[in-house]
Amino acid sequence: MSLKNFSELFVELDSSNSINNKIEVLKNYFLSNDPIDNSWAIYLLTGKSNKRFISGRYLKNLFSQIYEYPEWLIDTCYLKVGDSAEVITLLLKNKSTPRKKKLSNISLNELLSKTIPDLSKLNEEEKNLQIKNLWEKLPEDNHLIFNKILTGTFRIGVSIGLITKSISKQINIDEEIISHRLMGNFEPSIDSYEFLINKNINLQELNSKPFPFLLANTIEDKIFKHSINDFQFEWKYDGIRMQLIKRSGNVSLWTRGQELVNESFPELVEKISHIKDDFVLDGELLVWNFKEQIAFDFSLLQKRINRKSPTRSIQIKYPIIFIAYDLLEINGRDIREIKLENRRIELEKYFSKWQNKNDNNISDIFKISDLIYPKDWPDALTYKEKSRENNTEGLIIKKKTSIYSSGRKKGFWWKYKVDPMQLDAVLIYAKGGSGRRAGLYTDYSFALWKDQELIKFASAYSGLTNIEIKELDKWIRKNTIEKFGPIRSLKPEMVFEISFEKIQISKRHKSGIAVRFPRITKWRKDKNINDADSLENAYELMKKIS
Amino acid sequence: MVLRTKQEYLIRYKDGNLYCELADIWIDPSKPVKKALITHAHFDHFTFGCEEYISTNETAILLKERIGDNIKIKTFEYGEEFKINGINISFHPSGHILGSSQIRFIFAEEKWLISGDFKLQKDETCKRYEIVKTDYLISECTFGLPIFKWDESNKIANDISKWITNSPEKSSLLFCYSLGKAQRLLNEISKTNFKGNIYSHGSIHKMNNSYKKLGIDIKDTIKIENKKKIDELKGSLILLPPSLSKGSYLKNFKNIQTAFASGWMSIRALRKRSGYDKGFPISDHADWDGILEVVKKSEAKNVFFHHGDSEALSKFLVENESINVLFFGK
Repeated sequence: MSLKNFSELFVELDSSNSINNKIEVLKNYFLSNDPIDNSWAIYLLTGKSNKRFISGRYLKNLFSQIYEYPEWLIDTCYLKVGDSAEVITLLLKNKSTPRKKKLSNISLNELLSKTIPDLSKLNEEEKNLQIKNLWEKLPEDNHLIFNKILTGTFRIGVSIGLITKSISKQINIDEEIISHRLMGNFEPSIDSYEFLINKNINLQELNSKPFPFLLANTIEDKIFKHSINDFQFEWKYDGIRMQLIKRSGNVSLWTRGQELVNESFPELVEKISHIKDDFVLDGELLVWNFKEQIAFDFSLLQKRINRKSPTRSIQIKYPIIFIAYDLLEINGRDIREIKLENRRIELEKYFSKWQNKNDNNISDIFKISDLIYPKDWPDALTYKEKSRENNTEGLIIKKKTSIYSSGRKKGFWWKYKVDPMQLDAVLIYAKGGSGRRAGLYTDYSFALWKDQELIKFASAYSGLTNIEIKELDKWIRKNTIEKFGPIRSLKPEMVFEISFEKIQISKRHKSGIAVRFPRITKWRKDKNINDADSLENAYELMKKIS
Repeated sequence: MVLRTKQEYLIRYKDGNLYCELADIWIDPSKPVKKALITHAHFDHFTFGCEEYISTNETAILLKERIGDNIKIKTFEYGEEFKINGINISFHPSGHILGSSQIRFIFAEEKWLISGDFKLQKDETCKRYEIVKTDYLISECTFGLPIFKWDESNKIANDISKWITNSPEKSSLLFCYSLGKAQRLLNEISKTNFKGNIYSHGSIHKMNNSYKKLGIDIKDTIKIENKKKIDELKGSLILLPPSLSKGSYLKNFKNIQTAFASGWMSIRALRKRSGYDKGFPISDHADWDGILEVVKKSEAKNVFFHHGDSEALSKFLVENESINVLFFGK
């Protein structure tokens, strides 16, 4: 029951591409280790332990200092490896450090509940000495885990979902129940693990289960043949899809990824808990601009998603709203089988009832979706084109007679997304990637013409296939003009089509413009740099939109 | 020692290859030439169509296996000196694969050593690296960073054995270079607890036979046929060349796990990106310590590096040892 077992688990999980295999490996680990170590393992694997005891930079400096190793050499290695904890692990291997009596049987619990937290009680000198000590005492195979926990960078391709599945399989209980148990402040202890694997389900757990989500398909031409009156139109918000559940007084907020996120949005849970009825709502969570009554950028929502127990000031800075667009269950009655148009009537009826309660003003955090009423299909197209003005991605079109089925069912819901904006730009800088992309040039900067000069206007790193990345990497190495640390300036020769969601004036950028979500959508090998767009083209695009 | 211009070096870079003008001889050329010295028989170290090849006996036999019998090839024993245009040339074991060699040139009392691909680690399928003293050293530096530190090969072999036996329901596909790496792995695996069947792809099988003919003890393997019964392959090890890892060949198998045996697999990001389930870091090239040891023990005062990122290694040597690192330029 030791750190060693956990290191082995890490290696096994890390070297398997098969989900079933990972579930099996996890299941076996849980069955053969102590509850306390299991709960620590879950804590680590679900990323609940991102506490950083020392920084990657500190780790590298410390190694450099202890073993009189040039820092530049460590940095060079880092470029190849892309992870400080791993670089130091590999370098430690190369230092034939005197091995003292080995700490080969230290338990995960002892390391995580005592050895590492105790480091913060020491002064810097003692701390450094203790880390050196541990490096020398711990068996080599455990160095990676140790360094990763130290630097708060323990991450592995195991999702909460996978842990949930393996425990669900181990005790034969539905995943949603396990998911519910895993929510919240999972404090590693024997009790928390025993609770997780308890075969008895309590009523509250059963009550929190969401329905499978109904998803929208991409628009199909054939729907234009139908009468516009057969459909309900709403804006397509760029938020987080959620089911908001209130049953027997308990509120649960589920994402489409089966994640319970009550803790990230306590103000919503609080408000909803005062409503008298029980219900299941389907809708979208957004950070909302109450003044203009439109959504803020998704980037602001990201400030809320991963933050548990947000402070009051965060709640004020990034005010959220839940926009409900469907009612699936009301006071215990499952109404998914009735037609959308009738569900909508129910939704409006109940919402106005809730809204009119004077003692609980819900409209500052909860509303129902606005419906749009295009006259005909060309009019729908006009609406779609206008969707950027209110920060939406286009339209959602729903068949009025559809029931609430599950999955990407054909013929029920469609998304009609606005086309992305595009410019052709010249690649001028490249930077090495980190993590999985270490050792390859994968972060690119692109420029547009201004008279005879190329001005940088966006950076992007997504959109190329692995094969293209490798090809481009080769080209970059051969066509470097200058190196500045990890960045290379390149011969202007390659043209790429860059797509983005939004374009606006920015004083911070030399180009005078900023774009949102820039990504590479095509490698324009057919174009030469004189065919690339100019800043003027970008300004025109901006005018056209606004 | 006087500083000289690139043109005056006994050996220099020409069209991306090592060339000795005085003898009009190329080392491991990538294009057909009149006279080619071949360090070893990997595909990136020789080319078809040279008028004359010169190598060790073992390399010659492997070369003929790959190019065909009708080439003109002169062979020499390790350590045997021969003269071309007044230059004394000799082959010395480099420990990379069977027949692999370093090549030493002596001219006007000046010694030049081309390391070829080399490793210092134990490998029972070829002669161990021999320390050769020199004035000028041209060394490979494929793994020229201190993050590369090889484990003992028996440890890797045991890991491979465990990997296979832990999944008795699966066919374990291990990808490795067909010449050298495959035979070294077979030799090491035969000493582990794994006693199941070992299959090898035709290209590997052929090289196994060549090794055997040259007196190397290689474990017998079954040549893989396209229509092997799937059940038969359960729990066994199948050696395949890396070129087959992508594409339709894998469809011949069911319920597989894959791994790649290569020094690059010591880096997690590369391992993940490679698409194999598992990576076994074992290499026939020297690691960082290995390169440094060779540089030091060769007593070379001037070193050139090629094959790989040499920047860090060069800077490290200049800062820490009194060694002059030179650059050919391209």
